[in-house]
Amino acid sequence: MKKRILTALSLVLVLAWVSGCATSGPSRPVPYKLTPQGMVIWEDEYEFLPPPPDWKLLRVEDPTGDINFGFTHADPGPFPSVTTMAYDEDPFGCSPGFENREREFFKRFLFNAILQFQILEKKKVQVVGGEGLQVDVEGKDPVKGEKVRARVVFGKRGDRIVGFYITQWRPMDGVYDMLTFDIFDKFVKSFQFLKRSFYETL
Amino acid sequence: MEGHQRNLYLYERFNARVLGVSRDDVLTLKYWAKGLDLSFPLLSNITAFLGVSVGAQPDGQPIFGRLTIIVDRKGIIRYAREGSPDFKDILLFLKKLNQEGGKS
Repeated sequence: MKKRILTALSLVLVLAWVSGCATSGPSRPVPYKLTPQGMVIWEDEYEFLPPPPDWKLLRVEDPTGDINFGFTHADPGPFPSVTTMAYDEDPFGCSPGFENREREFFKRFLFNAILQFQILEKKKVQVVGGEGLQVDVEGKDPVKGEKVRARVVFGKRGDRIVGFYITQWRPMDGVYDMLTFDIFDKFVKSFQFLKRSFYETL
Repeated sequence: MEGHQRNLYLYERFNARVLGVSRDDVLTLKYWAKGLDLSFPLLSNITAFLGVSVGAQPDGQPIFGRLTIIVDRKGIIRYAREGSPDFKDILLFLKKLNQEGGKS
């Protein structure tokens, strides 16, 4: 009986919502350190091989943790030639399984660009010490004359899915630089968790 | 809302349930929930009495502001935060609340 009473212990009410946007905040101390081996230790939580020095660090001050951090590279060529890659602790979607999460994720991925994605390749991979799912997609915008090629890798941290992604934008007649995707692959392959996540310690 | 959906298994662990409340109509919420694959209830409060009662509706505004509140099993509001939900803060609070409940 007591158990039944306790099932309704508390109730979280969430009133209203508006689309959340990541905003840049004031500067704060650098959250990473470099090891003699060239690896980055990020907030004593992750370790990874960073991209070459000509990539700029992206940090997003977002309480919902949309993107923890990423890197961007201005590619040669006309607008919108740019490549961005990121680690995301909570990628779009909710499901704890890869297949459903992939479906949910691509409903929202680059949503504002209003692109129709075509899946180029989908395969199982090993990532962060376990099984993961890698999906290569391409999206095109014939009106703006732009296209984007992206690779998304889903992995697991405890019970939750985490994501890595790279997006490479080009004008419609531009050529993708697949060597950049190798840099992303090395970043993902090197990625390790140095401690249990907040959710695993609850 | 997606964040709450991701955390449902943790809310379950802490004997908590989540409800969303909005001034949107039922049909809008139905499609919205489907689009985001939400499985928890969304309440349509067109007349706004619920939001007004907890101070979620700013004066002169036609919609609710973002507000997260946690109500305990006695119906007492134990937590209220405006703005985007701080999920880690919410989970830590629920964990504490659950522990308090277990002792009583």
